[in-house]
Amino acid sequence: MQRLSDLHPDMSCERLKKIRECFLMLVVDILVIGAGPAGSSAAKHAALNGAEVLIIDKKSEIGAPKRCAEGVSKEGLSELGIEPNPRWITKELSGVRMVSPNGTDVILDEDKVKLPEAGYILERKVFDKFMAMDAARAGAQIMVKTLATGLERDGDRVIVSAEHMDHDFEIQAKIIIAADGPESRVGRWAGLKTGTKPKNMESCAQFEMVNVEMAEPDCIEFYFGSVAPGGYAWIFPKGDDIANVGLGILNTLTEKTAYQHLLEFVDKNPATQNAQPVELNIGGDPVGGVIKDLVTDNVLVVGDAAGMVNPLTGGGITSGMIGGRIAGEIAARAIKNESWSAKDLKDYKKRCQDDVGQSFKKYLKAKEYLLNLSDEELDSIAEAFQKTDFDVINTSELIKKLIKVSPKALLKLGKIF
Amino acid sequence: MIVKEWCMYCGECAGVCPRNLIEVRELSLRFKEEGCKDCQICIQICPVNALKK
Repeated sequence: MQRLSDLHPDMSCERLKKIRECFLMLVVDILVIGAGPAGSSAAKHAALNGAEVLIIDKKSEIGAPKRCAEGVSKEGLSELGIEPNPRWITKELSGVRMVSPNGTDVILDEDKVKLPEAGYILERKVFDKFMAMDAARAGAQIMVKTLATGLERDGDRVIVSAEHMDHDFEIQAKIIIAADGPESRVGRWAGLKTGTKPKNMESCAQFEMVNVEMAEPDCIEFYFGSVAPGGYAWIFPKGDDIANVGLGILNTLTEKTAYQHLLEFVDKNPATQNAQPVELNIGGDPVGGVIKDLVTDNVLVVGDAAGMVNPLTGGGITSGMIGGRIAGEIAARAIKNESWSAKDLKDYKKRCQDDVGQSFKKYLKAKEYLLNLSDEELDSIAEAFQKTDFDVINTSELIKKLIKVSPKALLKLGKIF
Repeated sequence: MIVKEWCMYCGECAGVCPRNLIEVRELSLRFKEEGCKDCQICIQICPVNALKK
């Protein structure tokens, strides 16, 4: 494969300039668009399985700006075979604190909690780079500041038009892995329905803050109710007095923007009375569940672009990376078999539905139910939870407990959980 | 579409655009205005009110 230096416009060597003119098209087996955790995971596993892989990312710095509360479970990392690294872990958590609208709280200990975001708080700007480095060490090439601008088919190949600095060029690939996040344009170029309806797009805003005075500084905190219509607010500690303070809302349920809700939350929450922001993050979180069509000829969709986000919690790091791993393995197998039609790639859809999608369907139902609860109902559930003994807790078990304490939940969710 | 200077290029507008008309670059947005049906979903979803018709 040609290298990035073949394309760089600032090369002074005449011979290299001539070479560059010949390389208006890069040719690869697999092109991964987007170097978030899902894209890097896909690239790594495709490269490990023998494919020639190129990752492009439109940003000049992989992982920045973050669009995430940065929570990840120990179980999720372990499932992916990723060893925790102090260079990208800012905080190890001991539990979860859930707070109802009137301030009633329920604290769950770490040894009982297996929620998707409970375990570590990451430094995503470092974590994402490390995951991309893993992909590079496996053999993938990376181009940053490189934007995909279109896609067309050419026989059994795909041509992606791209821009790097002031240079337009094309990339011919046998398979495209679309990991372009909530924007999810690449799948739509390929004819897949990857766009997100507003009712399924959680609109998020977050400050990274200092001087945060948390009630339980070793717990992640969730705040439910009208503080964040259609979602929840969070405080995720990052060590010392630093924390991510944010929320996600559904714009279909409120006239205010996510940022306006965030300002109100920070203004009223006891933990943030003396806090100051050092960073503002915003972004969308597609919480409608895994999309129906994940593959077509030459193309697989992964991560947020494919809706691989827990609809209940909004967490999508490990689920996206699991999807990426499956995509990388199946794409590399298709390259080995020299056949990459939708039929050759269809195992991806089945494995994703089995490994990620099935549980998300249940959580989607639970979310729909929770959206219909008033602040008063949430308060009464929190009070009932305070009196409940928890054994091992994961999202599913939490919903089962909810069914026990709430007759309304029993009616809506009893058959599902 | 007018993109206010406080836009943070998060791409949420692009994700919900039913006609896939919004290109999010690292430090700019590009709209394909000719295909726009004026649904204004992009304006409503923006987390920081950065889009205006």
